[in-house]
Amino acid sequence: MGVLKDHRRLGVLVLLGGGVLLLLWYLAPWAVPHRLFGGEGVLLNPFGHHLPQGGLPPGYSDGWLRLLFYASLAWLLLALLAPWTKAPTRGLYWAGFAGLLLFLLTYLLFQASVAQVNAGAERPLLRRYSLGLGSYATLAFGLYLLLLARVFSPGGLAFLVRRRGLVVPVFSLLLASLLGGVMVAVLKENPGEAASWREAAMLKLDLITYTYQLLYSPLVNPSGFLQSLLLATPLIFTGLSVALGFRGGLFNIGAPGQLILGAIAAMLVGVYLPGPRWLVLPLAILAAALAGGLWGALPGWLKARFGAHEVINTIMLNYIAASLFLFLISANEYKFFGNTLFLPFKYPGYEARSHEIRPEARIPHWTDLVAPGGELSFALPLALLLGLLGYFLVRRSLGHRVLFGLLGVVAGYVLGGLLPGPAVAFGPDLTSVRLNGAFLLALFALLFFHFYVFRTVGGYELRAMGLAPKAAEYGGVLAGRKMVLIMFLAGALAGLAATHYVLGGGIDEYRLKQSLPYSVGFDGIAVALMGQNTPLGVGLAAWLFGILLTGGLQVNLQLGISRELVAVLQALVVLFIAAGGFLPRYFTDPLRAAEVELKEEARKREAEEAKEAR
Amino acid sequence: MNLDTAFLAALLLSTLRQTTPLLFTALGGMFSERSGVVNIALEGIILFGALTAAVVVERFEAALGPGPHPWLPWMGVLSAMTVGGLVALVHAVVSIRYRADQIISATAINLLALGAPSLVLTYFYGNATSSKEVVNRLPLWGPEGFALSPLVYLAFLLVPLSWWVLFKTPFGLRLRAVGEHPEAADTLGVNVYRMRYVGVVLSGILAGLAGAYLAIGFLNQFVRGMSAGLGFIALAAMIFGKWHPLGILFSTLLFGFASALAIQLQGTEILPAVLVQAFPYVVTVLVLAGLIGRSRPPAAVGKPYEK
Repeated sequence: MGVLKDHRRLGVLVLLGGGVLLLLWYLAPWAVPHRLFGGEGVLLNPFGHHLPQGGLPPGYSDGWLRLLFYASLAWLLLALLAPWTKAPTRGLYWAGFAGLLLFLLTYLLFQASVAQVNAGAERPLLRRYSLGLGSYATLAFGLYLLLLARVFSPGGLAFLVRRRGLVVPVFSLLLASLLGGVMVAVLKENPGEAASWREAAMLKLDLITYTYQLLYSPLVNPSGFLQSLLLATPLIFTGLSVALGFRGGLFNIGAPGQLILGAIAAMLVGVYLPGPRWLVLPLAILAAALAGGLWGALPGWLKARFGAHEVINTIMLNYIAASLFLFLISANEYKFFGNTLFLPFKYPGYEARSHEIRPEARIPHWTDLVAPGGELSFALPLALLLGLLGYFLVRRSLGHRVLFGLLGVVAGYVLGGLLPGPAVAFGPDLTSVRLNGAFLLALFALLFFHFYVFRTVGGYELRAMGLAPKAAEYGGVLAGRKMVLIMFLAGALAGLAATHYVLGGGIDEYRLKQSLPYSVGFDGIAVALMGQNTPLGVGLAAWLFGILLTGGLQVNLQLGISRELVAVLQALVVLFIAAGGFLPRYFTDPLRAAEVELKEEARKREAEEAKEAR
Repeated sequence: MNLDTAFLAALLLSTLRQTTPLLFTALGGMFSERSGVVNIALEGIILFGALTAAVVVERFEAALGPGPHPWLPWMGVLSAMTVGGLVALVHAVVSIRYRADQIISATAINLLALGAPSLVLTYFYGNATSSKEVVNRLPLWGPEGFALSPLVYLAFLLVPLSWWVLFKTPFGLRLRAVGEHPEAADTLGVNVYRMRYVGVVLSGILAGLAGAYLAIGFLNQFVRGMSAGLGFIALAAMIFGKWHPLGILFSTLLFGFASALAIQLQGTEILPAVLVQAFPYVVTVLVLAGLIGRSRPPAAVGKPYEK
């Protein structure tokens, strides 16, 4: 009985997906062999093209599209029939894989057709070409079939529920992207003229696709890639800061303020402390962490001592920090009750900024790390290699392993630095990206988070505080002190984000400037939620948002849509993750998840026994 | 320093003006929290309300010409209230129906309020930071020299009104019951979810009103980030006022006075303006830490209810 019901449900789900696919095949362009500046494209669709300014580019043959269309139709028909056969899931697996192959074929045929025209020409005739939404829909439907096949085989639901830490954020991101697409459609009129409503729809869908292609374009070009890492660096720190609070049951909305305090401290040490590099640079970094930490510990203490809620206090401290920051760098003379106070911090000139950080206290640019003096250095790769070896080969306690890992890093760095390397040169588009050593610091922060939270007693206590504060206190955790410590560490992580801007020159100068983008502290909330408060997740989520922010610049330049589109996407992701992605509750509630997993285990066993009996 | 009467009068008027949006928002927050839902999205809702009021009035002016339209600002106020209520409804659905963490869901709305206005402003005006100035602002009522926006009077009238609603009507009793002990209220036949929806949406409507006041009463345009933490300060005032309309009147007057003082001191040689701007925020932290002592939130606040 249950099996029959499952069959029918599967059939309906495939049918629904197929319907959407067919609609997209009809309405969306399959390929865009050429795109004009401003976004209008030559849109190819088997039901009729959209051709701006008189026809296809000379010599382009669209014969491959017709062939592909019939192949796709046949594939869709088979996929729709698969759920009604005797072994539906196996059929769907085959159909899904066939879909992936079909997409690959589409891609190859399209590339060949473009190459054919471009090869003969002096300058490429076809530019900014790409596949269209119709082809991507083929790929998506293929993946959808594979997913359905997995979920509807025995134990399939448990497979999804067990990965809920991935399912909820990814599904939320998809939902947010869908809504973002609608917003683009509303906010931006079509770039070209349409003769029919189908052509208008085609233009609209292409516009949305192009927006997302631009948003993710940093993935496929080297300077965009580096730029995305650059923007991810502060997000890693602030994401970890918020995530640490969440793990400990506290909501740190104060990352912007902590970042500001970190920036001020880094500036004070970096500008005014004389000394050699090995002393001043670490001290400047430590100062940033310490100042951010203390600014974070303050609301922690207020909560522990007076029961004042950390959410409102951290927000208020953000505003206070911003005032303090402006006070220090916007002028050098202030009147207090008629008396004049002189401050030395502001650099002369119209702009509100500090003096320059001394060269000794600067975090090196990425070219100086990867290839100092124009020669590729083995220091970093070797440090990584020996660090991993030290950690994984030592069979002793965790402390020993971490120690040997760190020793390996140092040894590798020194050794690699001594080895001669081949000369390399980077183009100006790469060297102008201001990615710097703070990125490595961020990776260390990820490691620190992992070891502290998941591998130490202190971290265990922290997680206990987050899951069940009363039980933790009963178990011997000094709740008040722990609260202050958690907020201190969270603040320190946020404070470290400032090293990227002030010491690493992450924007344009090695200074503390009014343009310090401290609101990345708020973006940390989205990063932490998207990353589900795990270090790996935070790293990936920060990178994702780094990509989107980089791509957002292209969207703004080429389509004139405000870059804030990315901020809106972030906010929507947070909202949807908070709502558990609107998925059934066993995706958010651990108890219900366990129930589902047990039930599915039983079903799987039953199915296996039935198979054996046969 | 000369504390002449002109200075004091200006300070008084400024206090009333600064208190108004705080009072709307804090009363709104009170209705929401009394029903058991924390609503720190009020900050963002103020921004949405302000954006709506400014854009609606400006669009009508663009269509009808600038000529004085006495009804137009009220149109802006109404639409701001509507949008405020709708945004609050999103928070309500996510945190009541989908049992989300109320603070996270509200933070999402606040983040949205940082980004979304830029998209709208770019669409209408081609810049991401402010809307075009409007001509038809809210009128000023009152004697010469002491004229105030009608919304100022409304805000102070709302204090006794919400006291009456909360403590003297069956609706208020139910609202409080749902926030204190939802199981008991449910047993007695009160629809917990519906009461909470009403509480949250009401808070959104009031915050939208505060936004309209900022955009077309206090100023004549929408400026990015114009709420400047007002929604959060209002929540602190609500806590300090012990979730009671009279307490809230007192505490918002205190915060309003702090802001007014900061404004009056700007441009004088007594204290630097950049530091004075931080004054209301410092007061908030101090108040939350020092004076909170015995204030007790509604017992079920922040907890999703499960039937």
